[in-house]
Amino acid sequence: MAKYILQRIIKGILSAVCVVILIMILVYSLMNRENIFAGDSNYTKTQSNARVTYEQSRYEAFGYVDYVNYSEYIVQLAQNGELDEETRPVAALVGPTPEKDSEIASEYIRRFTEEYEAEGYTVTRLEADRKSNGQVKDGGQATVFAVRERSLPDRVISYFTRMFFIDNIHYVPESTDIGERGLTFTLHDPLYGGDKFSPAIIGNGTKHKYLLYFDNKFPWFHQNLLTLNLGESYTVNRGVDVFETMTASQGTYVLSTVSYPTGHVEESADDLHTATYAEGSLAVSEMYAARFTDDYTNTITVKGSMSKMGYSFVIGIISTIMAYILGLPIGIAMARFKNGFLDKIGTMYIIFIIAVPSLAYIFLFKAIGGSVFKLPTLFDMDSGSRLMFVLPIVSLALPSIANLMKWMRRYMIDQMNSEYVKFARSGGLSETEIFTKHIWRNAVIPIVHGIPASILTAMTGAIITERVYSVPGAGNLLTQAINKYDNGVIVGVALFYALLTVTSIILGDILIASVDPRISFTSKGR
Amino acid sequence: MYEELKKSTGLKSEELFSQVEHSDTESEKIAAPRYSYWKSVFRVFFRNKVNIVILSFLLFVIAFAYIYPAVTHYDPYANLLDPDAKHLSPGDAIEHFGFSIKWILGSGASGEPTFDAVWNGAQISISLAFICAAINMVIGVLLGAVWGFSKKVDMVMMEVYNIIGNVPMILIISVLSMLFSPTFWTMVFALTIVGWLSIAYFIRTQVLIIRDREYNLASRCLGTPTIKIALKNILPFMTSVIVTLLATELPSYISYEVFLAYIGMGMSEMSLGRLIYAAEAAMVTPGWELEFWGPVAVVSIITIVLYVVGQNLGDASDPRTHM
Repeated sequence: MAKYILQRIIKGILSAVCVVILIMILVYSLMNRENIFAGDSNYTKTQSNARVTYEQSRYEAFGYVDYVNYSEYIVQLAQNGELDEETRPVAALVGPTPEKDSEIASEYIRRFTEEYEAEGYTVTRLEADRKSNGQVKDGGQATVFAVRERSLPDRVISYFTRMFFIDNIHYVPESTDIGERGLTFTLHDPLYGGDKFSPAIIGNGTKHKYLLYFDNKFPWFHQNLLTLNLGESYTVNRGVDVFETMTASQGTYVLSTVSYPTGHVEESADDLHTATYAEGSLAVSEMYAARFTDDYTNTITVKGSMSKMGYSFVIGIISTIMAYILGLPIGIAMARFKNGFLDKIGTMYIIFIIAVPSLAYIFLFKAIGGSVFKLPTLFDMDSGSRLMFVLPIVSLALPSIANLMKWMRRYMIDQMNSEYVKFARSGGLSETEIFTKHIWRNAVIPIVHGIPASILTAMTGAIITERVYSVPGAGNLLTQAINKYDNGVIVGVALFYALLTVTSIILGDILIASVDPRISFTSKGR
Repeated sequence: MYEELKKSTGLKSEELFSQVEHSDTESEKIAAPRYSYWKSVFRVFFRNKVNIVILSFLLFVIAFAYIYPAVTHYDPYANLLDPDAKHLSPGDAIEHFGFSIKWILGSGASGEPTFDAVWNGAQISISLAFICAAINMVIGVLLGAVWGFSKKVDMVMMEVYNIIGNVPMILIISVLSMLFSPTFWTMVFALTIVGWLSIAYFIRTQVLIIRDREYNLASRCLGTPTIKIALKNILPFMTSVIVTLLATELPSYISYEVFLAYIGMGMSEMSLGRLIYAAEAAMVTPGWELEFWGPVAVVSIITIVLYVVGQNLGDASDPRTHM
């Protein structure tokens, strides 16, 4: 059993990897990459050579190419101590044409070209772009840069190696002086004043300041040692990981009294436990300097409403429960009184839901719910009313009720014609006994298989329902990412969906095997 | 000899037997009424009077969707320059233009008759559904049969199915509509490029169920070639399954097109989905509701009628109902 499940999990992960590869081919190779500039105002503002370098830097941001500008190279050399402060400005100055370079600059440009060409980059030198009167155009300054197209294997490998991030004390570059690196374990979290018992692990040199801590938010115990990195967003939610986009709280800020490491006390929404390292942030901002004692200044703010996934999940899970509570008994009753009144009404309802486009009946429910029952038809995060959940839940539940009714009725009727039912009837059992003790237990087995899937897919949200009722859920994340060409999010969301599907199928198989003794995963039985 | 006997004995002709030549071919003939499968299907189908009504309604709707736009030469921008023609209620439109069937649903955002727009859209949507269903069903059934029969193909195809089934359909469609322009044929291509896979999987499962039944085993023992088993033993068994599947597939393409159009990934032609998408704002504007509910009602009627006819035809094509 364990071996079989392990095999299934490995297979599932492999197919998820294949999904990622396929999607990378789709989005990076097939889609026209110039589309990313369609709604970009910076692109239309820049011109001449600056537009060329801007294009390349955006391509790098979206993951198409590796791009290094000569000026970045010089900055890096200076940081490594290979360039002193005097020669640096001279070396960084690219002449309008190669002949007009200073001796030092042309030496460094030669080194730059050689180094990067050896790594497979193409080095381009753009000469100064002049107007007809000889003046250099806006953004027309000469520049040198190196570009390398990222190959598919390279992209896939780096995606998966970056996916799991284990925080360590070498996260902050070794050249940066941040005092003694290390992890400290404390029983009294300094954030609570140092008196309250609350164990925590605090790191220096790590990405997160708090690696383990307790607080008053569910599930009370949090860790930052291992973080999941599904793909960084570029346009949808800049610089934020897909997983965080889905799970971060939304709405208005929730203020509480926060005492900062410097002793400054203020009403703030900052959650200091989530502080991450932001290099040099303390020195450049007076606001940070007044509050923090180190560069761990990047905090997540506490907001009052649920996350995208939270809303989707609450709506999805309640509607799923409703669907099972209503759909199964109605399906059984339809089979029990086959061709009766309930069966006819139920069949009509099933036909209606299957045949009619979902959009049509969701709008119908919305119109009826809004005008007849006077329910709110639009979602408003800040109103705090629970009534706004009713219509989205009902709209999601009604089709799944129809679906469950259909299958439950089908399975019940299939079982009703089998030999053991005739035998039970000839043995003198009452119809109710036959239904509850024999048919029901056999007919429900195939239904059980779908339970994990319906729970897990509740997390991904429903595209149309959420859009119609303007629910701030996770359902539109993929369409939004596609419309904004946010490749990182597309890959991340697709991988997330794929993993959910794979997991729910495996869980469904385990569940069905534990319910039905006839099904076993050991190959001996076959 | 017969005449002589009759004279000499005086018996009636029925009591006189005569020797008949033995014939092998004659003895093989079965003296039962001829059974024609499709005749029986339609006999069972038309036995239910509701089916006749619903089928003629379906034929009428389809014929109307093709003939009406062709006759009226619908031009959405004909009244564009008439400022009084926009967003009219049916009453106002008839008053403004005089009575004509095309104004019974009022007029839309550019003064176009909603009724004409709806039927023009219906023609596009129905064409899309029929073309996609035809392509997907042919490929899906053929490949599904091979998939179900061959264990080697099954191993490969299961993996392909697990992987491609996990790629979000919206992504494939949006990538394709970005590669090509979002026209009708791009939509057909996008819906068929992976759409056959789920049909093939369904058929594969059905083939697996009946492949190893006793009668097929017997056939194989007698040396029937696999192709013949597939065509003569299994395909007839699957007819009702295939018809039932077609009944769910046809309306599903129309629904899916509506869904795609609503999330902004539809085609450029003004199909029913695009009409609904374009009129979404009109739904909440008093007096404009018909622009939205018109296409919604027509798309619902078409899909329901298609589904019901298909399901009942599927029931009728099950030989067990031919008694």
